[in-house]
Amino acid sequence: MTAATTSHPGAARVGIGGPVGSGKTALLEQLIPRFAARGTRLAVITNDLVTREDAERLRRSGLIAPERVLAVEAGACPHTVIREDPTLNLDAADLLEERFSPLDLILLESGGDNLASTFSLELVDHWLFVIDVAGGGDIPRKKGPGVVQADILIINKPDLAPHVGVDLDAMVAEAKAVRGDRPVLVTNCRSGEGVDAVVEAIARDVLFDGAA
Amino acid sequence: MADASSLLLALQMGDSAFPSGGFGFSWGLETLKHDGLVHDGAGVTAFARAQLRWRWACADRPVLRAALAAKGDLDRLGALDREVEAMSLAAEQREGSRRLGRALVRSHVTMGTPGAAAFQAAQRAGRVLGHLPVAQGVVWGGAGLDVTGAEAVSAFAVAAGIGQAAVRLALVGPVEAQAMIADLRGVIATLLAQPCPERPHAFVPAAEIAVMRHESGDARLFAN
Ligand SMILES: Nc1nc2c(ncn2[C@@H]2O[C@H](COP(=O)(O)OP(=O)(O)OP(=O)(O)O)[C@@H](O)[C@H]2O)c(=O)[nH]1
Ligand SMILES: [Mg+2]
Repeated sequence: MTAATTSHPGAARVGIGGPVGSGKTALLEQLIPRFAARGTRLAVITNDLVTREDAERLRRSGLIAPERVLAVEAGACPHTVIREDPTLNLDAADLLEERFSPLDLILLESGGDNLASTFSLELVDHWLFVIDVAGGGDIPRKKGPGVVQADILIINKPDLAPHVGVDLDAMVAEAKAVRGDRPVLVTNCRSGEGVDAVVEAIARDVLFDGAA
Repeated sequence: MADASSLLLALQMGDSAFPSGGFGFSWGLETLKHDGLVHDGAGVTAFARAQLRWRWACADRPVLRAALAAKGDLDRLGALDREVEAMSLAAEQREGSRRLGRALVRSHVTMGTPGAAAFQAAQRAGRVLGHLPVAQGVVWGGAGLDVTGAEAVSAFAVAAGIGQAAVRLALVGPVEAQAMIADLRGVIATLLAQPCPERPHAFVPAAEIAVMRHESGDARLFAN
């Protein structure tokens, strides 16, 4: 496996942002074993907002060696730590590279935030924005910068659509409309349905090793 | 007043928007609030005064001076770093100082500040630890700040950082924080007019105990 061709040496860095509870950690839990199965050498950074909950959940999951998961505190500023001042996250990425070199991929979960949240390209090479059906079918047409600018938009929890009165097909169509040709993927991060397509997209666009 | 270009340089180095990670740190304030020991502006001001007088002026200041005077001599910088390491009792104080030092240096390496890349390489090779006041001396010296400018920016960053953390912890309002910082400018000016101690030392027990309690506590908006 070859490392990504990025603007910085070392592993490719992929951000996962999105509102509180949309399924960012659940997506990580689905992505990690799939990348591991492909032989991708992986580490994870979480930006927990108030606790170390997500980092601890991943460390205990048995999916990845616990020392490959670092938590970065955001000082109550989830935007700042991924955009205006990503230095603490960059430092955590440096530490992971020092300790586990060579790495192919560092996945970085943002703290739960709002629709205006975006990652700085000084921090990540590529980023995903995760929204969920239960957050409302009208979220895509609100054209939040996260929804519009992310490299991949993920619509999660399709299983909840009938329970919250959302027309999933219309939601996906509106998301595609506001994003032009950029990908919109639907995942169920509890069952794992749709997650392979996310792995393939990252492998193709970031790791440049589309041959699964 | 200093000439315009050195004033502008100090403004940029001291800008809270300069990417260097400080917003993630409360230096014990989060725990003091959580424990009910600081609950208003008076408490925050007392905390900030203690940090300035009993940590910044007697520990950070002499280290910063010595780091500026070392002019990139990595052996001298490494010795300074070890002194800071030995003086920092609480783990999150020690680790916080190193993390912020690395974060500051990293931004300056990217900007091409003279001396920053050599220091980062030495830090990655384990020759220096890169504690914050040492790193400040290296990169601010490299950027062209003199001793007076570097000391003012460093002390102001302590006051402003505590003010911002206090706002985010809902201990003070944003304008109240600025009024507090205005008072703290007077404290800083007084401290700067006093002679700098030869050897670094620090004594802020309430803050240090709070930082230690933070390590196992469940209030975790901040890194310490
Ligand atoms: N029904 C359903 N529930 C899901 C799905 N994906 C995640 N969840 C649930 O949604 C809840 C929130 O998931 P998390 O992965 O913790 O969300 P998060 O975005 O990481 O949350 P924060 O980090 O707190 O912002 C959990 O109870 C998950 O089990 C899904 O596809 N369908
Ligand atoms: Mg999460």
